[in-house]
Amino acid sequence: MILANYLAAVALFGVGLYVLLTRRNLIKIVMGLSLMEASTYLFMVSLAYRAGSTAPILLSPPAGKTAKQLAHGNVADPVLQNFCLTAVVIGVAVTSVFLSVVVRIAQHYRTLDADRVRAMRG
Amino acid sequence: MTRTSIDDGRALDRAARREATEREPLHRPWIGALLAAGMAAVLGVAMWRIPREHAPLPLIARYALEIAIPRWKLTEPVNEIVYGTRGFDTFGETFLLLAAVVSVVVITRSREPRRGYFGESAAGAREQQRDDPKVGSDAAEREARSAERREQDDQAPQGGERAETPDATPLGTPAPETAEAMTVVVRNAIRVVLPILAVAGLYLVTWGYSPGGGFPAGAVILGVLLLVYASYGRRKISKVIRPGLIEPLELAGAGLIIMTEFLGLVFRGSFSANWLPLAPMMTPLSGGVAQLFSAAELIEVGTGLIIAVFALLGMTHDWVRDDDDTSAGPPGGGERER
Repeated sequence: MILANYLAAVALFGVGLYVLLTRRNLIKIVMGLSLMEASTYLFMVSLAYRAGSTAPILLSPPAGKTAKQLAHGNVADPVLQNFCLTAVVIGVAVTSVFLSVVVRIAQHYRTLDADRVRAMRG
Repeated sequence: MTRTSIDDGRALDRAARREATEREPLHRPWIGALLAAGMAAVLGVAMWRIPREHAPLPLIARYALEIAIPRWKLTEPVNEIVYGTRGFDTFGETFLLLAAVVSVVVITRSREPRRGYFGESAAGAREQQRDDPKVGSDAAEREARSAERREQDDQAPQGGERAETPDATPLGTPAPETAEAMTVVVRNAIRVVLPILAVAGLYLVTWGYSPGGGFPAGAVILGVLLLVYASYGRRKISKVIRPGLIEPLELAGAGLIIMTEFLGLVFRGSFSANWLPLAPMMTPLSGGVAQLFSAAELIEVGTGLIIAVFALLGMTHDWVRDDDDTSAGPPGGGERER
């Protein structure tokens, strides 16, 4: 029942969005963004899953099968695993950009409350 | 200590206490909950119609699985996709990573010696001294500056000399601790785990049939350095983690990636095409240009993440560094003339 995984990813995304919309603490806003990011990882890995499948490795095919047959058979989707792999690394770098901006804001305004950072308001 | 500075200190104390007990500020929770729930409902409906666990593999996945061995001699399709079929995409993502790292470096960079001396702060301090010499730093500011210096510089902590190495620190040292190193148990555990992790990271790159190659390996290398940082403190890794070494390495990794992909255009007429001879399957050199790309990606991802994370961890205040003797220094600090 992979649908449960999909819905869990949606719920995680919803929680992240809620945090993003309602919290005023900048660290928590970054945490909300990370939650939304994590929900896409869960979604992509779940989307790659096939019932009763093996890992997409052509190393030693089961007896009587060639690697070419394996490609047409039951393996998990390697493309989505690749998306996930690169997304995790980019996610770490982007989160560090967010956090460094938050640290600079905290240093200049002496607060983490987004509502008190008013310099950009007209 | 003057009367005003004591009052200032008390006011700060009160403010800190109030902030600690303050309720978490929320911004329109009901509207937020409604919008988030609406978004989740829309996404949930969309999930009903997307392929599930019994759907056939998409064509792109089948294509990648079919050409992995004949065209790339790779038994790991994920690797083939990252560095082969979707090589151009990975190329773009690498520069997204580079852009993020450059942003972190620009945001976190502290003041550094400049070739041309601008002298704004020293000139400002002189003017301040001339026009309004009474303004001075108060007790709270002096305390904040000395705490900052204790944290940033390698000065002996209050109440004793710093031990030569974390291992030489006597057990059960009274608090407050300076967070220089963790306990002997953690340090020994990390000593055992570190070589295993480092070898695992390099293994992922060396053998072309480990999924992802340079991407996870770079993250593992970052993990190794973070463990050393957390357990032994900043001084232990300060010889390795310095911008003068890591930043050129990262740019070299980016240059290697560009060269690897561009030579495909030169030799084979297509950007990111394989221009190296293919070694037999399941050997470290199988996959031709994919292995070179993977190794370059290890350098790029490893150093990029190290720069981003350690720049964040080592972020200092961007205010002007104070002189050696802060209590007698000019008002508001003041930069030494270079």
